[in-house]
Amino acid sequence: MSKKILVVDDSKTALMMEREIVERRTSYQCVTASDGQEAIEKAQQEQPDLVLMDVVMPRMNGFEACKRMRQQPSTREIPIVLVTTRGEESYMEAGFQSGCNDYITKPVDGAELVALLQSYLGE
Amino acid sequence: MNGDKNVVSGTKSSRAGMNDLRLEAARKRLTESRSQEDAIEGLREIVANFLGSEEIGLFKVERRSATFRVYWSFGIDADDHDLPRALGETGLQRVMRGECHVVLPGRDRSGPVSKVQAFIPIRFANQTVAILAILRLLPQKVAFDRTDMELFKLISEEAAKPLFGASVHAMSVLEGPGMRV
Repeated sequence: MSKKILVVDDSKTALMMEREIVERRTSYQCVTASDGQEAIEKAQQEQPDLVLMDVVMPRMNGFEACKRMRQQPSTREIPIVLVTTRGEESYMEAGFQSGCNDYITKPVDGAELVALLQSYLGE
Repeated sequence: MNGDKNVVSGTKSSRAGMNDLRLEAARKRLTESRSQEDAIEGLREIVANFLGSEEIGLFKVERRSATFRVYWSFGIDADDHDLPRALGETGLQRVMRGECHVVLPGRDRSGPVSKVQAFIPIRFANQTVAILAILRLLPQKVAFDRTDMELFKLISEEAAKPLFGASVHAMSVLEGPGMRV
């Protein structure tokens, strides 16, 4: 069975692009959510192999969603990669404190994203 | 040796493929906008996610008065922005002719003295009806590359209708001849 990635972003453009990369350039399946709250619900239902999540989102941001996923036994072990326009060190530190495994900045390089996903999930 | 060549060409082709996906996503986002507001949000998303900027202004060309009017901005106070001055006469002429104008950063001994900026003509019926100004890049994005130019071209060709709706016809047809620059 192919591995599953949960892609989370409130931007339709980013979501569309990341979904296309996952579906056309990898063998993984893709499910999507558009804010942190929905991400937590989808992560519990879908049990993805990895979460690729934006930070700045309405309702619940990526840091908070990441923290909450780490607190729940069913989502605690899922690798989480945060994606954001903010590349400052303090922001990245906050990301890692929230429990993410990796942190990448926008604009996302598609080839690098595929390599990163494969480093977690294999080809 | 051949193996190395294959790796390089594979990487190039993979990057080209990724660029196609990016262009396709941008085109889809613009053309499938449900309203002018949604198109503006789409444009903001494209610039932030694909071009790496959160300081953007959209200036509408007012042909009758030969001026520019701030139509929308994000991350800057566009009312304080002097577009003709930022573009310079040559840049303004280029953009009005339909070419993108990229300002490269100037440097002196103390470091950079100006920012990378891009001015993209929004075209309809062979006329520039608005100018999208990308005024500062995110720190992690140091310059525009060839693939960004392709995205500029797409924005230039596809954004007018979603952004301005039916009024784009009036902007290009009814308001008379080209602007004096």
